[in-house]
Amino acid sequence: MARLLLNLGIIGYFGLFLLAAVALGGYWTGDRQQPQQPIAFPHTVHAGTLQLACEFCHRYAKQSRRAGVPSLTRCMSCHQTLAAEREEIKKLTRIFEAGQPLHWNRVYRLPDFIYFSHKRHVRGGVPCAACHGDVARMKTVRQVRSLEMGWCLACHRDLGAPTDCTTCHN
Amino acid sequence: MERRDFLQLLGLFSGAAMLPGCSENRSAGKLVSYLVPPDEGVLPGAALYLPSTCGECPAGCGLTVRVSEGRAVKLEGRAGHPVNDGGLCMRGQAALWRLYHPERLRNPLRRDGAGQFQPLSWDEALTLVVEELEQARQEGRANLLLSGRTTGTLTELQQHFCRQLGVEPLPQFEIFSHAALRKAYGILFGQAELPHYRIDQADLLLSIGADLLETFVSPVGYARQFSRAIKQDGFQWLHAEPHYSLTGANATERLVLNPGSEAALLSFLLLRIESSGQEGRLPRQLLRALPAVSAGQAARLTGLAEERLERLAKQLLLAERPLLIAGGIATGQPNGLQTALLAGLLQQQLGMIGSRIEFARAENYAAVGSLHDLQRLAERLEQDRVGVLLVCAADPLARAPAALDLPGKFKRAGLRVGLCDLFDDSARQFDLLLPLSHPLESWGDAVPRKGVLSLLKPALDPLHDSRSAGEVWLELLRRSAKPAESASYQEYLFDVWHRRLDERQLQQFAEQGYLSLPVAAVPLRLQAERAAGQLAGAETAVAAPWSLVLAPSIRSFDGRSGSLPLLSELPDPLSTVSYGRWLAMAPAAAQALQLEDRDLVRVAAGDWSADLPVRLQPGLAASVLMIQGDLLPEASLPIDPRSGELVRVLDGVRLEKLGSAAQLAILAGSSSQHGRGLIPDPAHHAEIPPEQSRFYRAHPHKEYRWAMTVDLELCIGCAACAAACYVENNVPVVGRRDHLRGREMSWLRIEPFYDQAGRAGFLPMLCQHCHNAPCEPVCPVYAAYHNPEGLNVQVYQRCVGTRYCSNNCPYKVRRFNWWQPQWQAPLEQMRNPDLAARDRGVMEKCTFCVQRIRRARDRARDEERPIRDGEVVTACGQSCPTGAIRFGNLLDEQSAVYRLARSERAYRVFAELGTEPSVYYLRKG
Repeated sequence: MARLLLNLGIIGYFGLFLLAAVALGGYWTGDRQQPQQPIAFPHTVHAGTLQLACEFCHRYAKQSRRAGVPSLTRCMSCHQTLAAEREEIKKLTRIFEAGQPLHWNRVYRLPDFIYFSHKRHVRGGVPCAACHGDVARMKTVRQVRSLEMGWCLACHRDLGAPTDCTTCHN
Repeated sequence: MERRDFLQLLGLFSGAAMLPGCSENRSAGKLVSYLVPPDEGVLPGAALYLPSTCGECPAGCGLTVRVSEGRAVKLEGRAGHPVNDGGLCMRGQAALWRLYHPERLRNPLRRDGAGQFQPLSWDEALTLVVEELEQARQEGRANLLLSGRTTGTLTELQQHFCRQLGVEPLPQFEIFSHAALRKAYGILFGQAELPHYRIDQADLLLSIGADLLETFVSPVGYARQFSRAIKQDGFQWLHAEPHYSLTGANATERLVLNPGSEAALLSFLLLRIESSGQEGRLPRQLLRALPAVSAGQAARLTGLAEERLERLAKQLLLAERPLLIAGGIATGQPNGLQTALLAGLLQQQLGMIGSRIEFARAENYAAVGSLHDLQRLAERLEQDRVGVLLVCAADPLARAPAALDLPGKFKRAGLRVGLCDLFDDSARQFDLLLPLSHPLESWGDAVPRKGVLSLLKPALDPLHDSRSAGEVWLELLRRSAKPAESASYQEYLFDVWHRRLDERQLQQFAEQGYLSLPVAAVPLRLQAERAAGQLAGAETAVAAPWSLVLAPSIRSFDGRSGSLPLLSELPDPLSTVSYGRWLAMAPAAAQALQLEDRDLVRVAAGDWSADLPVRLQPGLAASVLMIQGDLLPEASLPIDPRSGELVRVLDGVRLEKLGSAAQLAILAGSSSQHGRGLIPDPAHHAEIPPEQSRFYRAHPHKEYRWAMTVDLELCIGCAACAAACYVENNVPVVGRRDHLRGREMSWLRIEPFYDQAGRAGFLPMLCQHCHNAPCEPVCPVYAAYHNPEGLNVQVYQRCVGTRYCSNNCPYKVRRFNWWQPQWQAPLEQMRNPDLAARDRGVMEKCTFCVQRIRRARDRARDEERPIRDGEVVTACGQSCPTGAIRFGNLLDEQSAVYRLARSERAYRVFAELGTEPSVYYLRKG
């Protein structure tokens, strides 16, 4: 009896870790892939219906490592008048008038030890969709690529881009 | 162990191993939008480079501040700046540690009745000061302002403030006041100023005591000048000193003097040169006043050979452009004023004044007082005649000699107001603390010497609720209903600049961060009669052993930078001691007493004594002991009554062996090269073994092969490179405990090697990026590998911490992270965002600043061209005050490193091992 209890205890102990690992794994991927945003910004409208170029808002993509999110002034330059009656735009206006910045949740996130430059990729002719997918069809943007090293390297090899470790690893 | 126990333990460990993985910094997962887009020229993700001026010591070097995402992350010397022209010393590099110091004052504090400090608002604090000033005035007590050295507009504002509010400005406080020199020049020429010395214009430099490369007035500037001078053929540098300094170690020849014999040496030289009849004659009454020192006497007093003394006189006579600089230890002695006077006379006699000694560009020390002024302050405090005592950016409590009992007398002032930055022991002596902004957070200007105007411009918003001194003075004026003239100190400065500078100058000032302004010539005439009267007392008494010299520290200046952790982590270049204090002693003297490194001794002078571990210092005179001046603030040092300078050489010091040993972090394994030719002896060029056959496969390099050259003729061992490397590469500061175990983290270190005669050579040692790197084949996980551009790369994410690579590295340059690096807030803001901090269990090392190569490549790609020579400057090379470190592409035949690597002087350390390092050293001579 004691032996059975002990075995159950051991199995239960390890099982707990297994469960915790699975649960955490699920939670993390879920969080990384499609976070909810403080304002339900529809790429489907801006990039889809209106066909705005990515760089209209992410204006540093060609010049800097960072693509950048639009400044609130940029948003308000249209939304001062456009669709101003909608709930989400009212929310935006309130934040803007309070002089607060918007804290968007990151969808794509590279580890600290990775050097990545939007500029190099965009100027090198890699289309935005190659990594970010067809955002014009995403109501809420989700991560469509794993961003794992193997995935990066596959493309680098195909396009003849450098594959030396120091290209990306800090 | 039973299977069951094993399983239980396994379960426990697996659980423990999972726990650290459960934390994640969630706030970092945000993308924060701008409210309004940034100004033209600001690109998110790209760093800004702003001009500023270093405030870590009075030299006033020009800075380029690298600002990334609103945080200052790196300081570099500003190229072209008239003071430092590109270099920056280790203290300048560490200035960021002051900015982000965890112990910075965050808001005004007031001591309550129970002696505890309570926060209060600026409004309350300033109102309190105004009220107390008024009350003291009514009671007839004096309100005083004691400030550290200020220059430029702040000095003017301070004077204006004092006039308007009836505050008496005391002469400014600096422990390195150079008071004896200024007084001597005042007596001789009626110019009580510190002139600007032009080493680069000289063909023979004789320096006596002045620690030109450590703390003397403008060390980076002098090092830069030295690097220019040494490129001229036949440049000679003789340095005379009783102890052993970095300056002495770098001179062509170091003349070891008996302590206190500087005046005798100068008297002898004056008389000998006078009697040669070749140079300008000295007035008769002066000659009569000179102590008659014959060659024999001089030899006996100084300890130098008679022949050497004669030759020295001859060298001075033969030189076309000789330059004499006396100061530092030489004038910090009981006969320091006479030494300074005699030096001034010799400078006049050999025609240096006006040519290589420029009073027209005098260093800005006019407002600085001496310890006499502090003595007077102590007396006034004792008489209870002081109301409000304002102390601004000065630490007289920690620096002043204990004999003054300043901390005790301070208590008698009505209200003690401290404007300071760190909440340290001195700060706790005040009643009211007003936090000062860091120079990098403030507007301002500096006039380090006549004709130089340097800009201070905020590189970031103040981290805490602090203000600059200028803002405080203006605010106090306003609250006392006095004309404050401007709404803010920034406006005040702009007004001043607009009044003084024309449009073109203003634009230049704003763009380059400094201005060279025309200076008026200063007519000088030797006032022989006055000088003659002051020469009495120049006689030298033979010092009684032991003599104790308090050497100025390159790491902490006068002690003010000692609170910056980086400067304790960086070893002293001569002794390689990092943490703790020590007593330097000649090996011969130590042997006689059967003392070794780390043995404890008791040193005593008068009623002061201290127990210190011994550190052997080759080349030090046998009867001389040496400690770092900043390490013994409690020492009861006397004040020279004639000049008001601190006496920094003590005679008749007692020494007692205690018979036990202390822990002392000595980082060097040995002070000798053991004949390995790490720094080859110039006399034995042919003895360098030929490079041997290859053991490894050759690597092809297509476009770039990065290489570095280090010119040992220019290297002065100042360790500015090591400090720059720490800041640039987020190298963790691990502290004393790890250093005692030999676990230092520096990617680049200065190795001092001494020969039999005690002459030092300095070897900057960093990863050699071997072509055939022994670290690479032993790594089981391919973390160390050779990249196509010749870099030996460490991939941290692959590293599993076997440390095989470090064991197999003949240069011992790989560093292992024994702990998770800690960055106490807000120090983490200093981290360079271009590279990640390494984790526990990972090996790291020099990367040849791969992030800088990447930045240059990015720029080159944008312009569709290859990387230009000189476009990649490593952090160490940038900071080097003498430009000893060059970096570039070895495949480019036009590059500087290609040329230097093929120079006759080039060699590689341990070339005989066949490692083919990419670092080429250029030997002396």
